[in-house]
Amino acid sequence: MYNFLLTLHTFFMKNITGKLKDDAEALKGLLPAQDILSFGFESEKGLKFQVLFADAVTDKELLADEVIRPLQSYEGGKTAQEMGAAVICPEVRTEKGLEKLSEEILAGNPVLLWEGADEGLIVGTKKVFVRSIAEPPTDVVIKGPREGFIEDVKINTSLVRRRLKTPNLKIEMITLGKQSQTVVALCYVEGTSVEKTVKEVKEKLQKIDIDFIPDSSYLTHYLAQRPYSLMKQVGTTEKPDIFCAKIAEGRVGLLVDGSPIALTLPYLLVEDFQASEDYYVPSYRATFTRLLRLFALIVAIYLPAFYISAQLFKLQLFPIKLLITISGAIQDIPLSPSLEMLLVLLVLEVLNEASIRMPKYVGMALSVVGALVLGETAVSAGFVSTPAIIIIAFSGIGLYAVPNLIEQTSVIRLAMLIVAGSIGTYGIILLTAFILLYLVTTENYGVPLAAPFSPIVGRDLRDTFVKYNLGSLETRPKTLGSKNKRRLKRHE
Amino acid sequence: MNKIAPRQLYFFLACIAPLGKLVLLPTQLAHYSANDLLFPAAINFLLQAGIVFLIMLLARSNKTFYDLLVNTFGKIVGKILICIFAAFLFFISFLPILEQKLLVQSVFYDTLPSVVAFSSFFLFSAYLCAKPASVLGRTWDILGPLAIAGMVGILVFALPVTDFGALAPVGVTGAKSIFFSTAYTLNWFYDSAILLLLVGRFEYKKGMAWKSVVFYLIGAAAILFFLAVFYGVYEGLAVRQIFSFSKIGKYNSGVTVLGRIDYLFVFALTLGMAFYCALPVQLGVGCLVDTFGADKCKPALFSVGINLVIFILSILLDYQFAAINTTVNEKLWFLPPVFCVLVPILALLLRRKPRERKVR
Repeated sequence: MYNFLLTLHTFFMKNITGKLKDDAEALKGLLPAQDILSFGFESEKGLKFQVLFADAVTDKELLADEVIRPLQSYEGGKTAQEMGAAVICPEVRTEKGLEKLSEEILAGNPVLLWEGADEGLIVGTKKVFVRSIAEPPTDVVIKGPREGFIEDVKINTSLVRRRLKTPNLKIEMITLGKQSQTVVALCYVEGTSVEKTVKEVKEKLQKIDIDFIPDSSYLTHYLAQRPYSLMKQVGTTEKPDIFCAKIAEGRVGLLVDGSPIALTLPYLLVEDFQASEDYYVPSYRATFTRLLRLFALIVAIYLPAFYISAQLFKLQLFPIKLLITISGAIQDIPLSPSLEMLLVLLVLEVLNEASIRMPKYVGMALSVVGALVLGETAVSAGFVSTPAIIIIAFSGIGLYAVPNLIEQTSVIRLAMLIVAGSIGTYGIILLTAFILLYLVTTENYGVPLAAPFSPIVGRDLRDTFVKYNLGSLETRPKTLGSKNKRRLKRHE
Repeated sequence: MNKIAPRQLYFFLACIAPLGKLVLLPTQLAHYSANDLLFPAAINFLLQAGIVFLIMLLARSNKTFYDLLVNTFGKIVGKILICIFAAFLFFISFLPILEQKLLVQSVFYDTLPSVVAFSSFFLFSAYLCAKPASVLGRTWDILGPLAIAGMVGILVFALPVTDFGALAPVGVTGAKSIFFSTAYTLNWFYDSAILLLLVGRFEYKKGMAWKSVVFYLIGAAAILFFLAVFYGVYEGLAVRQIFSFSKIGKYNSGVTVLGRIDYLFVFALTLGMAFYCALPVQLGVGCLVDTFGADKCKPALFSVGINLVIFILSILLDYQFAAINTTVNEKLWFLPPVFCVLVPILALLLRRKPRERKVR
């Protein structure tokens, strides 16, 4: 009955009243959880205070040192302004609404109330559990910055702010997720980013109606122009230097609390062939490695398919000596070439999946089982042929030359295998035509996915598979449509 | 999707349009005019280049062919005329598709494959044809360089075994043979009909008319060079060497060491050909969409319907290719000049501005 009356009372009383007991009870009524604690104390002059905070996410030591101790000897007035000036904490805000105050408590910021208070005082003594900034495992570099984003959006925004010290860098905080109340930082450089894109991204974010956002990947579904497309439509990175470079080019960036993976928009397919290190090494080296990545990806996708189609439909595709070797290797294999290849591919995918999920020390044993038992023994037992294992192994490695596209390329490789096994080389060509047509017709926030190759944008080609010297990259990518075109002056 | 850019149009004229002339045309030319095969091809190319120039003059109005027909003849007659033109496009696309089918069956398989092997082309074609013509420009941006690489690759492989002396003595087959050869191979030169339907889908810019002709002639020069190499490699046997572009490079000594590496270039050209073969069908479907509207899923329905009809015909006439080839080239040879020469010339007389309705 008491609880019901309290809830009823809270429902009608939405703002701070100034009566300490009522206010504290109303606030507690909004947060009936057991980990919401309240602590009362009195100043030397007899002014009563009450602090409400969430256990475990509030730094109690800091609260005691910066808030409670100074207020015990407090002799000033009762306004929130005066009270805010008395505490030592640098992050102090005031708020009248009880609901807003309860949200702050849940976020880890204690709320201070006192007798005769006109507003509640929100004190920023949140306890933040974060891992230290480390090199991201997905983008390791030999030369260049090694910092990576972590799961805390504030630290991530500080990493961005440290690199872009311009007042034009705008960071807008948006809260999403009805239950998770996840903070999303929308970052863009005013005057450089395309206003239409910023507006469109904001609108899309505001339309999101979801309970819980555990990771930034949840947002990609809402931000993509074709949500069910096979092709990636939102750029991702774990590195602040790449993130800053992209927003300095005119893109819009998103940092999501709880996720180390930042998002960038609009996305171009060619972005995933550009590693951060390419910009810190000589251009000829960057060009070589980019072409190598392209070659590895093409071989990884097409080699298993062509191997099957050559075996099944056109033996002429093999050079004669290789044909003799292959025919020797496959003559006792009981499986058809396509089934054999699919089986080896399946084993590779299982090994891959298991090696990621398994504890490290079991992983060693898994490598032995994978390499020796499944590989060596399967060949000697005559289940699969050596060429099939070599081809799939090379293909498996090749796909990781462009790790950000692994989800898409592994599906395409599988599709190529199936088509090659059923129709042969012409099927591979037609599937390529399908993919090509799909790629060139996909647009993302008005930017073609396949640009600057389709449509060809001459100047933008300078930073694609062939990378020009830094001095030649005078202008921002024309494809993105930034009004601020020039980014550097050519050194004479 | 934006309009076709001038660069994309030039890619079409110089790199994509020549692709359809690589499959059976060299053998046909060798059949009718032996070592003088360059003359009929050159005449046809020059004729087409002239028409390309005239069509580009028409393009200055930035109106589509359909709009021009409607402006001149009114809606009903305009729709009938554009449907007739669409029918011609479907007709003209049939032989290249059959050619493509034979090419696929002979080049990509050791033994005759099942019907399914080429059927998948119609799936692709149905998907492509449901897209508006404006996507073409973007595909040409990718296919243009790919076609150049394919063509250069094949020619590089074939050149060391070419004897250009086989083309001499020039003119021995006589003017009559060159005339008939020109007439009977007109069926492969329908680029102007395609260009006519692209009018209004690109923004005309100053100088585009002569630039288009130059780019078309560059493509023509590449094909003429290929024909010369083709005859230089096969000489008297040229008349029997169908799908020559797929095997002309295999005599290179490098192939014995590296294997059929020339196939990489053949695959690149085949990829371009898949788009080229579907192009008249796509534009024909575009004409139907102009006539009957693009609401709901009409483009997809037209595309699937037309491709289904061509697919069924291609199965029914599977073993009649020789008869169809002779009928289309030798008996219906007058059709391409009507639609690819006469119609574009007459199109210059079409009204550019819409008729003003008289207010009573």
